[in-house]
Amino acid sequence: MSDLAKLSHTAALILQTVDHGCSYGFDIMDETGLPSGTVYPALRRMEKEGLISSQWEAEKKALAEQRPARKYYRVTRTGMQVLEQSQKRYPLLGKLSQKTRR
Amino acid sequence: MPDEPKLPWAVSISQTLIRGAAPLVPAAEREEWLREWRAEIWHRWQFLFHTGEWNRREQLLLLRNSLGAFADAAWLMASQDSVRTRISGIARSPFTCLAALTSVLLIIAWLSSGLHATREMLFSQMPSKAGKLTFIWLHRPLGGGDYGLPADVIPAWEQSSKLLNGVAGVEVRHDQVSWNGHVLADDPLVIAASPALFKVLGVRPEAGQFPAEGGVVLDHRAWTAIANRNGHIIGSDVKIGRRAYRIAAVLPASFDFLSHQPTVYIMERLTYIQKAFVVSRVKPGVSDNALRKELSRIAEEVTAYFNLQNQMRFSTWREALLSPLWSFVPATLLASLFAWLTFRTGFKQMKRAFEPENRKPAARRLFFFMAKTGLALACVFVGCLEWTRSESSVLLASRDPGSGPFLLWLYVLGSMGVVFWSVADQRARCRVCLRLMAFPVRIGSPGSLLLDWSGTELFCSEGHGLLHVPLMAPSWDEDADRWVSLDDSWKDLFAHDK
Repeated sequence: MSDLAKLSHTAALILQTVDHGCSYGFDIMDETGLPSGTVYPALRRMEKEGLISSQWEAEKKALAEQRPARKYYRVTRTGMQVLEQSQKRYPLLGKLSQKTRR
Repeated sequence: MPDEPKLPWAVSISQTLIRGAAPLVPAAEREEWLREWRAEIWHRWQFLFHTGEWNRREQLLLLRNSLGAFADAAWLMASQDSVRTRISGIARSPFTCLAALTSVLLIIAWLSSGLHATREMLFSQMPSKAGKLTFIWLHRPLGGGDYGLPADVIPAWEQSSKLLNGVAGVEVRHDQVSWNGHVLADDPLVIAASPALFKVLGVRPEAGQFPAEGGVVLDHRAWTAIANRNGHIIGSDVKIGRRAYRIAAVLPASFDFLSHQPTVYIMERLTYIQKAFVVSRVKPGVSDNALRKELSRIAEEVTAYFNLQNQMRFSTWREALLSPLWSFVPATLLASLFAWLTFRTGFKQMKRAFEPENRKPAARRLFFFMAKTGLALACVFVGCLEWTRSESSVLLASRDPGSGPFLLWLYVLGSMGVVFWSVADQRARCRVCLRLMAFPVRIGSPGSLLLDWSGTELFCSEGHGLLHVPLMAPSWDEDADRWVSLDDSWKDLFAHDK
């Protein structure tokens, strides 16, 4: 556990938001109220550290709906461990998570 | 489904912003990055349009969010190894060190209106040059500290002294000043002074006439601050503290006396209760000793103040102005002495610099060291002077701990910090290219001290050499920091850094 990356409160909040189902950059901004200049670099960093993974949605589906395909983010297994650790470190974040899930 | 809307201006500008940020993104990732941002913008616009929420506020919000693409792109650029190496190379360069110190100096100059206090110290002139303009105050031999004189000696000196051409007392205080209900925002300096003050200083009023007693004279800054240079202020009343005074004159803009704060002078006869600093014109050729004797005699005969002779201190206008410089020079010498005592083993190694093959790199190192230390000391000198003298004065400098002894302490601590940092920084640089050493590696453990291999090893990123810094310098090994030069055969190991 101690080898896991320690996240700042902001990064942990973003990770938790992704875990709650906000898979796109702009959705995360809406949910957290954080600016794009904070959200996107945080997503890149977490992806580099293996806490989240990104994937393009199926091109066929997007074409059929006459819209560009979007890139979505998902929390990885390591990311889940780090998130649990962060929720212990930032108790308010954990409470927020419970409330949102309810 | 509603008709496909035209591309709105907010979306067009957002797309342009993203295209503007794209060159910062590494080429390999650029296409995908552009796709992601474009798709997000498109979806945001479409979603809001179809839900009927596409309004001006959302358009501006979209623009603001698109600006974040620059931060995102900059992060991607900075996270590349090659960029990191280049940034770290620039940060370690000796030129960056000198440029950073020069920038600090320029910032201080910018924040202090072009080094106002420093310029005042170096170039300030009193209008009249007749005789030596001299300050007189008391400094008790036991207990130290600077004090004003009992103010009733001033008329006695004025009447009886044969060595003075003019004498006036000043008592400095701070008070609230208001005119026509307008309170002077900056804490102004209020100086209660003998009516002869401006005659002694040799200044003429810009407007009005100097009053005999009970009137008030404003300096140019106070005039501007209170009344925005309104000429009708002469003859009106100004409230200082709880009392009202009549404004009689305004001083010229070129006149600077104790401070560059707005200053209000109350002309009044100072009584023995007030402890005044004395401003006088000493006749040419009069020694301090002769002056001390005469002034003490008059004080004893006329006003019955004894034992002033040993306590009286004199300082000419120029000496008083330059007092920060005379505080700074010994402070720097003291710091240099401490540094020499601490790093003397390192200085011993400098003997090698005189060997013919070492002269050129040694001269470069010395030049860099002198330039760096000089710039850093200049920052300390002007920074502390401008800060403490923001409300300073020549007289207050010797009395107010905020701008007198405090400045000396600032100089001692500041120059100590600078000299120690400068030597430590020099030791941490490559002996050839003067870049800061990199790749620190801890070797050994404190328990291995006897074997003399516990410490840190650093490399020059250009492969010029290796520096071994022991955890503790053993007493038998004076050359504790070991520099090992690496020849060209090692260069390939460091090629990736270039």
